[in-house]
Amino acid sequence: MSATPSDTSIASIQRIALITGIAGCVLALLGLVIPGCTPHVFRGWLVGFNLFTGAAVGPLAIIMIQYLTGGNWGLMLRPTLEAASRTLPLMALLFLPIVFGMDYVYEWSRFEKVHHHPELVDQPLYAGIEPHDHELEHKLPMLNQMFFFVRVVVYFGIWGTLAYLLNRWSAELEQKHDKSILDRCASLSAPGLVIYVLTVSFASIDFAMSLEPKWYSTIYGAMFGMGQVLTAFAIAVATITLLSYRTEILKAIQGQTMSDMGTLLGAFIILWAYLSFMQFLIIWMGQIPEELPWYVARMMTPPWRYVAIALVLLHFAVPFAMLSTINVKRNRRLLAGVALFVCAMRVIDLVWLIVPSFDQNEKAFVASVPLFAYLVYAGAIVGIGGLWLATFLWQLSSRPMLPSYIPEGGAHGETAHA
Amino acid sequence: MATVSPLREAKEGEIIAPGHTFGSVTDKISDIVQNDTIAIGWLASLAFAFMMLNILAISAAYLLYRGLGIWGINVPVSWGFAIVNFVWWIGIGHAGTLISAILLLLRQRWRTSINRFAEAMTLFAVACAGMFPLLHMGRPYFAYWLMPYPNTFGLWPQWRSPLVWDVFAVSTYATVSLLFWFVGLVPDLATLRDRATNKWTQTIFGLLAMGWRGSAIHWQRYEVAYGLLAALATPLVVSVHTVVSFDFAAGIVPGWHTTIFPPYFVAGAIYSGFAMVLTLAIPVRQVYNIKDFITTTHLDYMARIMLTTGLIVAYGYGIEAFMAWYSANKFEVAVMQNRFTGVIRWEYYMLILCNVLVPQLLWFKYVRTTPSVLFVISLIVNLGMWLERYVIVIGSLTRDNLPSSWGRYSGTIWDWGIYLGTIGLFLTLLLIFLRVLPMISIFEMKTLLPEAHPHGHGHDTKNHGHQESVK
Repeated sequence: MSATPSDTSIASIQRIALITGIAGCVLALLGLVIPGCTPHVFRGWLVGFNLFTGAAVGPLAIIMIQYLTGGNWGLMLRPTLEAASRTLPLMALLFLPIVFGMDYVYEWSRFEKVHHHPELVDQPLYAGIEPHDHELEHKLPMLNQMFFFVRVVVYFGIWGTLAYLLNRWSAELEQKHDKSILDRCASLSAPGLVIYVLTVSFASIDFAMSLEPKWYSTIYGAMFGMGQVLTAFAIAVATITLLSYRTEILKAIQGQTMSDMGTLLGAFIILWAYLSFMQFLIIWMGQIPEELPWYVARMMTPPWRYVAIALVLLHFAVPFAMLSTINVKRNRRLLAGVALFVCAMRVIDLVWLIVPSFDQNEKAFVASVPLFAYLVYAGAIVGIGGLWLATFLWQLSSRPMLPSYIPEGGAHGETAHA
Repeated sequence: MATVSPLREAKEGEIIAPGHTFGSVTDKISDIVQNDTIAIGWLASLAFAFMMLNILAISAAYLLYRGLGIWGINVPVSWGFAIVNFVWWIGIGHAGTLISAILLLLRQRWRTSINRFAEAMTLFAVACAGMFPLLHMGRPYFAYWLMPYPNTFGLWPQWRSPLVWDVFAVSTYATVSLLFWFVGLVPDLATLRDRATNKWTQTIFGLLAMGWRGSAIHWQRYEVAYGLLAALATPLVVSVHTVVSFDFAAGIVPGWHTTIFPPYFVAGAIYSGFAMVLTLAIPVRQVYNIKDFITTTHLDYMARIMLTTGLIVAYGYGIEAFMAWYSANKFEVAVMQNRFTGVIRWEYYMLILCNVLVPQLLWFKYVRTTPSVLFVISLIVNLGMWLERYVIVIGSLTRDNLPSSWGRYSGTIWDWGIYLGTIGLFLTLLLIFLRVLPMISIFEMKTLLPEAHPHGHGHDTKNHGHQESVK
């Protein structure tokens, strides 16, 4: 019961995605020659990179949880999730531009330069940075360019290894239909999840939290990682529900499995909201100067406070309310709509998490940013997104879209839990 | 005890031993309750537990007579054993709710053998937990002041205080847990009523069964009510210990004010709860010879949940230590220094040993399926989780930001008396429960039998291999 989508729809979407991706990247790169836009090229790139790295890493968590707990939903989503995880090499490649713009992105990177070469302060990029700062000097052993790059290599190495093994074994399972392979996947998944959680936590500190190098929050890794899993799950649900219109066999996915996907999407949204709200509430109640700036930038500064309110309503309340009604879950079109909507909200959330870190350093965001910079941001996010989507669809159509091996007792379609 | 025996012992992956029928399940579980003889072992255990309960009575009476001065609390450590024990007991209760509500919604059928028992444990643990804030008030007869009620002396709860949220979180939790437990009991109470042979038990079970006749409409309403209660109880698994964590995290005491606290407290609660379920289930399945219902597969699954939640707790310890360094904040660093090298270090090392190092043995299947080893680990985790709360409460209160507000603390004999006394209360309630109510849900166990699935796929007693195992 394998299904390779033979119709041309995937190929045409893939082509559109590729063209959009390249166009977006070109638009972003134009920023390098427009005066005042250079920093925004790298900052926008970082948003896109973080968003789609989440889309590439998040699937690993869901695949491994599924190997350990089972469930039809995961069995049906696995090929889609695996295709998303095979985009990891692309994301590793797309990290490279950041290497050349570290100083535009990370304050600690600028500090590192100034700390070693105080004369740089005369240059506009490094203006206002003190060569000596107790906290940043304390963090130098971790927050320095060399070690940062080493860590990025380690992260992608570990994620890549996990993705490679899970994908290879799953292909083997498809061929041989041997239960021992399934056991092998489960044996990898238990320690794999431990390693996953640790690497994702530290990667989120490196890629995003360290943008404000003096700010810290112990829940950040969990919150950021949960966002990645949510991105991955929403993309997978959207993909499979949308494609099920076009491929006969995917229509096998309905009823209980559809409902389970809807429930899980709702559960991931609740978990994301829980972790995000806990961080907010504790920092709000504590009201101490070390922690507040992060929320001052995101909730009291004009453009961002409306984004924050929009996130509460549109990233949590609306999808939660829609998924709480059973009709959405049994209605393919609505479920696809909600999943796509959540994907869109993930973009907004990532922008809200990352971009306010920059304007803290530049005071008023609106005043200091040239108009073209907005296009640069959009170009970078859409560009990376287009390249990612094209790669994802290419990978998706390179393998059967439904598993052919169904373990004993699992995935009887509709009868299993009827 | 009737001689109902299965064909053979349950094998790996089986959640009920084969050979049972509807009749044998009813007989076996209700015979434990409807049995004229009183086992000497049960009586001796009850006597012991009752003796410990009397320690609670004496300690509480003396406390009310003399006042809170008999405890070790002082300035600055005004939260001593009372809060440590409160958090410990509340945490233990969480396993019952997770098993009964979340595992039900996740369609984990193996929960059926342990949910009744675990829910009872939840109720008794909440009862023990409730003792501590009440006694800690010093004047428990003013406890109703915590409630918002119209009065003439301008008294109103401080709604911004998590301590007030706690009152509502815990009382809601107790109410929903009790309802959930009782609703689930009703069909079984009717079974006991119908089997009862003497007037008294007929009357008592008859009253409690509330006229249950097992008609289709009864079952239909039951299913709806049970599903709704499960949905209500699910957020409580997270909310109660989240609010408990706010008791600490909302303040800016060093070591308390950290954002990871809510999820880490919730994981810790489930961790300690499953440890307690195992501590109780392992001897009970041995003594009452119900290994055909609570199989090694159950132990394996519970151990896996314990390992998972234990790893989350370990993550919490790790990220706290890392972030203390990363923050470059001298107060955060001082907290960790106090834990690693300060006065609280032995408690901290012990807690790492009990909660992080020893439970790594659960990675081995042999350990997860060997009841004696698992029992010892569950006791160690119980101890470790108590120490965790001790380190959080005492460690931080004795070492506040300013050295001028540092202090010392040690529990007095009356602190220990009340703590041991609540264990007595817990065990007494549990032993009475085991004797007077069916400890395993009779009617739900029947759904695990092949007879319940006339059109099934022929592997209904098995746990669907990979599909429903847990992590």
